Amino acid sequence: MEPIMNSNDSKITANEEQNGSAAGTDTSTSCTEENVSRVLDIATKAGRILLENGAEISRVEETMVRIAAHYGVRHDNFFVLANGIFTTGWDRNNEWPGSFAKVLHIPMRATRLDRIAAVNQLSRSIIDGKYTLDEAESRLAEIRESSPKSKWLQLAGAFLGSACFSVLFGGSLYDAVGSAVTGFFVWLFMLYVYQPYLSKITGNITGSVLATMICIVLHKLGIGNTLGQMIIGAVVLLIPGVAFTNGVRDIADGDYISGVVRLLDAMLGFLCIAVGVGVTFLILRYLFGGVI
Amino acid sequence: MIIQLLAALGGTIGFSILYSAPKEQYVSCGLTGMVGWAVFLLLTRFAAFSAPAATFCATFIVAILARIVARIRKCPATVFLITGIFPLIPGGSIYWTAYYLVMNDSDLAAHYGFLAMKIVFALVLGIVFVQDIPKRIFRVFKREDTVR
Repeated sequence: MEPIMNSNDSKITANEEQNGSAAGTDTSTSCTEENVSRVLDIATKAGRILLENGAEISRVEETMVRIAAHYGVRHDNFFVLANGIFTTGWDRNNEWPGSFAKVLHIPMRATRLDRIAAVNQLSRSIIDGKYTLDEAESRLAEIRESSPKSKWLQLAGAFLGSACFSVLFGGSLYDAVGSAVTGFFVWLFMLYVYQPYLSKITGNITGSVLATMICIVLHKLGIGNTLGQMIIGAVVLLIPGVAFTNGVRDIADGDYISGVVRLLDAMLGFLCIAVGVGVTFLILRYLFGGVI
Repeated sequence: MIIQLLAALGGTIGFSILYSAPKEQYVSCGLTGMVGWAVFLLLTRFAAFSAPAATFCATFIVAILARIVARIRKCPATVFLITGIFPLIPGGSIYWTAYYLVMNDSDLAAHYGFLAMKIVFALVLGIVFVQDIPKRIFRVFKREDTVR
């Protein structure tokens, strides 16, 4: 991994300059066996939080290298994939003849941008010398366990998002009402059925079937005037925007393996949503005939 | 037009809640999304741009804005990019593709399917180009806590 080594080298020089100018606060540690392992372990933990909450690969690698370099471990290698981190390291002065190796499997979880922001902030503070190893470790554990937004707030977000997106795609304000109600129920489904139990494929298909059904019922009841815009507004909640954006960014950075995996994930998501909508229309047309 | 812009603002804020962006950043996320949508609207309505071309320009601006805002608000650019790009994702075209496929109208289905692909490609290019702009250009925008 040529690029990592390069960025590693440049980080070291930047870091050394900084340590020279920083007044008094020196949190970098000496290289003992225990320390090398701990530092790399902490760097890997930081990387894990970033990766499982939806950060791009280059950010994960950069953060890990920065943290390790600050605490004095310089001969390290991090190899990060979309669902795994490989860490190896050894001591720069050969004071410690051992080496450190760790492989972590990291399944993708729900996106938590606040955790990414928090780890980013932490890594900056570490470089500024504001955290000792112990403090950094406990702060990371704290970030990893930070509670998600309350369910009501999320539902409100879904309500608002659906309403706005149906207007955005050309719906009237009246359509927005129907869309918002549907979005609310779609997110309920997301919270209590999809996220805990279902795979992405099944979840996306059933989610978009549900959204289409509710929209059609509401439409028949006379809420909303254009069915299409209502459904689009509700279905938008299922769109894998994070996987898509990150996939593109990874490919732009040259992380092709992870980029392709994430783009495939996103494309599959789009496809499943389309299948869900299509299947619902097909079934209804078969049952009731005619164009809905 | 104003309703559309407000919808872009609200929609992006809605998604920043769903993706648990930090509370302080909701409005910045929303504004990023709104500017992107404004660019898209202006180009398609007044400059006769096609949807993919307008999407490219809008994505480009959203991505640059995300990096600028990231420096000002001291928060990773990802937060603003992921949420800000949402209005530009061709949800509509994908829906109509599925709809017309099922309705056995292959001409329209192909039309919308192709359109969706072009728009997605425009999104990709917009993000990639901005990603390759060197970091130091964005140093102009101050972060208060930097040591450098």
